[in-house]
Amino acid sequence: MNQTSLESFFSDVGRALGTAGVNRSAETVRRYAEHTMACGDIVPSGVVYPASTADVQAIVRAAGRHGVALYPVSTGHNIGLGSKAAARAGQVVVDLGYRMNRILEIHDKLAYAVVEPGVSYQMLYDELVRRGDKLMLDVTSGPPQGGMIGNALDKGAGYTPYFDHFGFSCGLEVVLGNGEVLRTGDGALDSATLANWHTSKYSFGPILDGVFAQSNYGIVTRMGVWLLPRPPVVRSFHFTFPDDSDLGTIVDLCRPLKMSNFVPTLFRVANDLYLCGSEGESPEYAASGGERSISDEGRRALRAKHGLGAWTVSGAFYGPSVAATEPMIQRVREHFGQGGKATYIDHADAPRHAALQVAINAFSGVPSLGELGLLKWRPGGGNLWFLPGTPMDGAVANEFQTICRRIYEAHGLDYMVMNVCGPRFARGLHVLAFNRESAGERARADACYRAMSEAVAGRGVFVGRAPIQYHDHHMAQTMASYRDTCGAIKSALDPAGVIAPGRYGIG
Amino acid sequence: MQTSFSADQLRDPAIADADRVLRTCVHYGFCTATCPTYVLTRDENDSPRGRIDLIRAMLERGGAPEPPTVHHLDRCLSCLGCQTTCAAKVDYARLIDVARAHIESNFRRPLGDRLLRGFIARTLPHPTRLRVALRLGGFARPFARWLPGRLGAMAELASDRARAAPGPAAGVYAAAGERRSRVLLATGCVPSVLGGHVHAAALRVLRRHGCEVVVDADAGCCGALSLHLGREREARELARANIAAWAAHAGDRDAGGVDAIVVVTSGCGTTLKDYGRWPGGEAAARQGALVRDVTEWLDALGVRPDGSVPRYRVAYHDACSLQHGQRVTEAPRRVLSAAGFDLHEVPERHFCCGSAGTFHLLQPELSRTLGKRKGGHVDAVGADIAAAGNLGCIVQINRHAATPIVHTVELVDWATGGPRPEALAGMALRAPRTEAVPPAHTDHPISPPAAGGDVGVW
Repeated sequence: MNQTSLESFFSDVGRALGTAGVNRSAETVRRYAEHTMACGDIVPSGVVYPASTADVQAIVRAAGRHGVALYPVSTGHNIGLGSKAAARAGQVVVDLGYRMNRILEIHDKLAYAVVEPGVSYQMLYDELVRRGDKLMLDVTSGPPQGGMIGNALDKGAGYTPYFDHFGFSCGLEVVLGNGEVLRTGDGALDSATLANWHTSKYSFGPILDGVFAQSNYGIVTRMGVWLLPRPPVVRSFHFTFPDDSDLGTIVDLCRPLKMSNFVPTLFRVANDLYLCGSEGESPEYAASGGERSISDEGRRALRAKHGLGAWTVSGAFYGPSVAATEPMIQRVREHFGQGGKATYIDHADAPRHAALQVAINAFSGVPSLGELGLLKWRPGGGNLWFLPGTPMDGAVANEFQTICRRIYEAHGLDYMVMNVCGPRFARGLHVLAFNRESAGERARADACYRAMSEAVAGRGVFVGRAPIQYHDHHMAQTMASYRDTCGAIKSALDPAGVIAPGRYGIG
Repeated sequence: MQTSFSADQLRDPAIADADRVLRTCVHYGFCTATCPTYVLTRDENDSPRGRIDLIRAMLERGGAPEPPTVHHLDRCLSCLGCQTTCAAKVDYARLIDVARAHIESNFRRPLGDRLLRGFIARTLPHPTRLRVALRLGGFARPFARWLPGRLGAMAELASDRARAAPGPAAGVYAAAGERRSRVLLATGCVPSVLGGHVHAAALRVLRRHGCEVVVDADAGCCGALSLHLGREREARELARANIAAWAAHAGDRDAGGVDAIVVVTSGCGTTLKDYGRWPGGEAAARQGALVRDVTEWLDALGVRPDGSVPRYRVAYHDACSLQHGQRVTEAPRRVLSAAGFDLHEVPERHFCCGSAGTFHLLQPELSRTLGKRKGGHVDAVGADIAAAGNLGCIVQINRHAATPIVHTVELVDWATGGPRPEALAGMALRAPRTEAVPPAHTDHPISPPAAGGDVGVW
């Protein structure tokens, strides 16, 4: 990509979108280079702001003509995974969220919404409240400003029965690498009237939606998302367990409750530092200059201060009234009471433990800021998320805990993890909080991430979402035919290779 | 964020303070999505993150700031929505105060700007002058809509507030029944002129709930207005005078000290609670620690409704000074619910209504845009009544929403035996919803639809 091509590209885009559609100012470019990962800033060539699908087509076609690499972002709040930074320096960021942030439709009767990439959880939540709070969206426990399309395409998740954000999306509009527009699902019908675009995922033909998740085959400009009728009562329950090794017991207790779907939410099984870390800074960081992990005594003190355990498990029931949920609460108390190590915290008491407020909000479809406190655990703004998963088998979960805890400690970092548990599988949200302004800590965080990824891969476990810094690394962990297939799809859908080369290790 | 102040610069306590704050910003950028001016303009320099960078550059360079820097910093509402959303807990409030003081000392504004800001600083914090100005402003009332920008905003202010009722006279008011506590009701400057009816309602409610109430004539402006204009010295003088006036009340309870200093205007409450950070020693810190928003105090006492007021739908608006400045969000909701009202949330509750102290006078266009946005959201709730805990918000929303708005304490007063709020006089309110909604314990209380109005079956 040479300078002449870039100038021609920006000139073409400026003509198509107007001057408001292009920003190359130094201060803006600097912002889009920033992220929280362990590598240096990734400086783009500029930023473009489409206002419509037609604008996105114009940008993609101009990129194809001039051989310019693009990098689309929705709202760019995927902290710990890349923020607004491009996969590679010099790419042009396509900031979809700036001007494409409209809620296109809310169908109250069929309970779905249709959104553009800039629509955040907070925005849709506010609109649903405005319309009478009849419908509930599934939210992450991350930033309320996070974009719904970006999260779904990155296979992000929440905690309610509609937790699988990609799974509960329905019907995409995608601009392909050649500038053509594709509608997926029932939207593929060549008709001006599309009754089922956002109500039916699997009608005629291959299911194409999946190739646009965690990839770089197109730019999604519109998505349908299913909504849950808001339950009159959400009643959470929480149990603390005193020992690190209790994780295995908890996982084995959660599994049957999810297998039968007796508990409709996913379980949040969080360790002490994941919960307490959102409520304050590391009390031992300064003393060790960031060289050592927090001590066991320090962890015990935090647990005592916040009234939490080495592990705390949270879930919730939905029902028409408090009385209707009472028998289920009693049943789940008896279930977790087996073994005598669990301490129960009920729904009304939970907000007194500030860290549990996030769980209540998440189960209730309410975006909240609480978990962002984790970013303050160490100074300097460094943050990586390592997201492997384990089968819902207590012994395996404990084994992985031992492995990862040891690697964190070997690198002087603090083991912070929450296992989000379904019936058969738990995603382990591992937070690596580090001082990005310290070269030493950056290097240790990077080494820690790589060591864990190798260790779990050696035991047959792959990651889910990943920081863009490691996309090539993880793609190299896949089998050759998988890589070849991904490359072949890229060649077919984006032959000029202009859409986000390098994202998820493709192109 | 890295800074590069010289050792000489850092000897200035304000610069040292700013340096400390600047270093905590790591540019996560969460603040941009909740900053009203950034959401409206999408200009990085109109966002907290951009302003922090501008402040750093301005202070590092020293001397007279560039006009564009002043332009962008002047457009900050100080709503502190950014502070709530900031994961790095950047103390933006302190930083913008330092920046404003620097601008005030080092930048020569255009004449009109100087005159207006000087007029505000010399009038609003002084009740007698404000009364005179409002009377004179009354003459401009009929022409408000034709007057340009700031003049129009000033005339509107006069028209909104010319008929304000007087507040309670200074004195000590006995508790009704058994005395449970002794409190000082802070009446301040602008609120003492324009919020007499709110103070009267607060006085009735507090007495009804067992408070002996001291209404003090010696205290005045808390200093917030001057501080937000960058006139730090004046702000400190006003604060010092207040601290001296309240010294006796903040002392030992056996010697006449009060259990709390109760505030009904949350903009003032934020500054009063912050007195501990101001020069004033132990007395200032003690007073700051005693300050409570009226809803916090009533929540602690436990509201006792008399059952005479039906369960009307109330849309509660979070004043920025309460939710972001003081982090008081639950107490007003608990108090309204306990008083028997059917509480509903206003969309974009984290977002400023555009009143923001003197912002609506200095930046009328931005203020009007934000006011219309908030007014639309308030009306969209479909409530019978809106409630808020800050006079500025009440005036602003009253201008831009059809839903009648009153102070939270006026509703609590009404529900516990007081008169119907004047703003609701002669207004027909709908038959209330009867079924109770259990507490959700979420950050944003939830108001599920009434029976029959839900989409699913539960």
